[in-house]
Amino acid sequence: MQTGALGERPDAAQHLVQLVALRAQAHEVGLELIDARHPVPEILHLVGDRQELPVQVVHVIILSVSWLPVGTVYGAHPLGADNVCYARPVTPREETIAVGPTRVQVLIGGQGDPLLVLHGAGGNRGWLRWMAKVAERHTVYAPTHPGFGRSDAADWMEGIDDLARFYLWFLDVMNLDRVHLLGHSIGGWTAAEMATMCPRAIDRLVLVAPTGLRPERGEILDIFFYPPDELFRHTVLDPATIPERETLFGRPPTPEEAEIALRNRETTARLTWKPYMFNPRLPHFLPRVTAPTLVVWGREDGIVPVECGEQYRRLLPHATLAVLERCGHLPLIERPDEFAALVTDFLGSPSA
Amino acid sequence: MKLYYFSEMPHHEYPDAEGDKYPSLRLAFPNTFFSPEIARRNYQRYLDEYDAADQAGFDGLMINEHHSTPSCVNVSANMTAGILARTTRRAKLLILGNILPIQDNPVQMAEQIAMADLISGGRVLSGFVRGVGVESWWANSNPVHNRERFEECHDLILKCWTSPGPFRWEGRHYHFRHVNPWCLPLQKPHPPIWVPGTASPETAVWAGRMGYTYVPFLVSFEVARELFDFYRQGAAEAGRTVTPDKLGFLICAVTADTKARALEAGRHFVWRMGPTLRGPVEYFAPVGMRSRAASRFALRARSVSLSKMSYEELVESHYIVADTPDRVAERFVHVHRELGIGHLLLEAQESRMDHATTMRSIELMGKSVIPAMAGL
Repeated sequence: MQTGALGERPDAAQHLVQLVALRAQAHEVGLELIDARHPVPEILHLVGDRQELPVQVVHVIILSVSWLPVGTVYGAHPLGADNVCYARPVTPREETIAVGPTRVQVLIGGQGDPLLVLHGAGGNRGWLRWMAKVAERHTVYAPTHPGFGRSDAADWMEGIDDLARFYLWFLDVMNLDRVHLLGHSIGGWTAAEMATMCPRAIDRLVLVAPTGLRPERGEILDIFFYPPDELFRHTVLDPATIPERETLFGRPPTPEEAEIALRNRETTARLTWKPYMFNPRLPHFLPRVTAPTLVVWGREDGIVPVECGEQYRRLLPHATLAVLERCGHLPLIERPDEFAALVTDFLGSPSA
Repeated sequence: MKLYYFSEMPHHEYPDAEGDKYPSLRLAFPNTFFSPEIARRNYQRYLDEYDAADQAGFDGLMINEHHSTPSCVNVSANMTAGILARTTRRAKLLILGNILPIQDNPVQMAEQIAMADLISGGRVLSGFVRGVGVESWWANSNPVHNRERFEECHDLILKCWTSPGPFRWEGRHYHFRHVNPWCLPLQKPHPPIWVPGTASPETAVWAGRMGYTYVPFLVSFEVARELFDFYRQGAAEAGRTVTPDKLGFLICAVTADTKARALEAGRHFVWRMGPTLRGPVEYFAPVGMRSRAASRFALRARSVSLSKMSYEELVESHYIVADTPDRVAERFVHVHRELGIGHLLLEAQESRMDHATTMRSIELMGKSVIPAMAGL
């Protein structure tokens, strides 16, 4: 627990508490409470009943600040009151990190061994439910790729291998000698490339529905060929099952968000156009990877065939494949709790 | 004002209901509906019509190129230019145009255009286009690089034509260590360059800066004037004066002995306003192909989709001219006065317009319309 953050920024913490409570009210979102495990001796303002009472904060995670989606609030009150929520210090912070001349936005939160999270073609969706759970045991670094979101452009990049070299450089800049590495879709491809380039830098590797290999059967869906609504139907098995659906997809994008979405697609096209979504040389380098690897796939993935998971498992020296039933291309948000548990267990298990 | 004859060489000999089953006639409509027997006859027919247009006195013959679509089975503008270079005698050969961004070998492109120019005795007008998105899909060329590749391909072709070889080219997208084409254009310093426009202000500005002839395709007069303003802006930057021979415009036109017959023939142009342009925006403007400015302009320029307009509205708005020769001439004069152009490009055959109708239109244009343009 980063107990210092609240002490340094009591106003911000108070603001967060109020913000979340108001939004929860506005969106009629119930405040979900979980058991306290990490007492934090901070005095905060009690918000739920609008009284200012000094209480002991036990454990609250806020998944919502101004630049993040409104989400579920986890918390507990030592007295058992269920209408009370508290800010807690592990609310992620956003930093701008310069890697050479290229500045990227990075969400950093949690505590424990570092875990670098590389997002997919959809861009950095913020501090998600699964991240909050994993961040209880790990310090999560979730950068926004160059050319995505509000990170700087890097129009000189030609492929995912360039992005992989960029993130190895990023680790140098962050003084992270060895990290757990988790990537989804093109982020998974990037993670796999990094692991082949510098095996020593990767402790454990999690690949979630990664592109990067040419499917032996089937094809990777041409995501640039379909209108957004049709593409979404291929991406997610059943939107109704996504706990964060309201936050992530519940309203039309603002003009700024639409511009970011377009920018994300352009950069993805720049990096993956030909050969489309795979590197024919990657399978020849995967045997170099030393990290224990967890490959996660949705059985009903409509973007990258689940058979590619078997190919990765076969080519990587120390890989296991976990297939989630009734799940599409976005296990991280389609099955956040199950996914977070898989990741936490894998990263926390004793070394083989 | 100079008149140009143009046919897209369509292959519309299939049941329309079949085409309607697919998201678009482009890319998605299976080529199992392509008939080599029909295409064999069509090519001969379309080339005969080009020859007739040359003999009728058209100032130029416009040739274009598309791929994966029944709307245009002219799959090689340079090949057609090579054929017409031999079979025609006087008309300019307006290649409008070669799709530069999807080329992997600009040196070969420079050679092919030069060869057509040589065979034709220096009659080639060399148009360069960025292509619609369909062509990027066809070539699997990254649309994000489209504009960069267009400009670099153009630069290399120009260098092939104007700088003695051998030389080396190490660009962003093209790399050649020994460039020394043994085929150079007859026209010096090189064939005139033409550029079409539909929506991109950047292209208009660029064409103006370069001093190339600029031709908006099938837009309203209002949008054409706006694009010409962008063109003039570019020309001014380079200190160039814009004369009418730098500005052109493209419309659909057919004439016949009676107004009724002309109007009947003109209906064939409706196919190219809607059905052949139907499809997801991803096909026509894949991600990265259009700049933000071009996207905004396209929204405005096409605020009323051509596909939503009735035939009568299309005629009323000068997208289609279909009338007796004297009335057609009047319409052309009107277009000339509205836009101040020196070149009017006529898409003069479309869809299932038959050979006899097409030939009669060419003949009447030659007799009555082309002479009426002489003083403009």
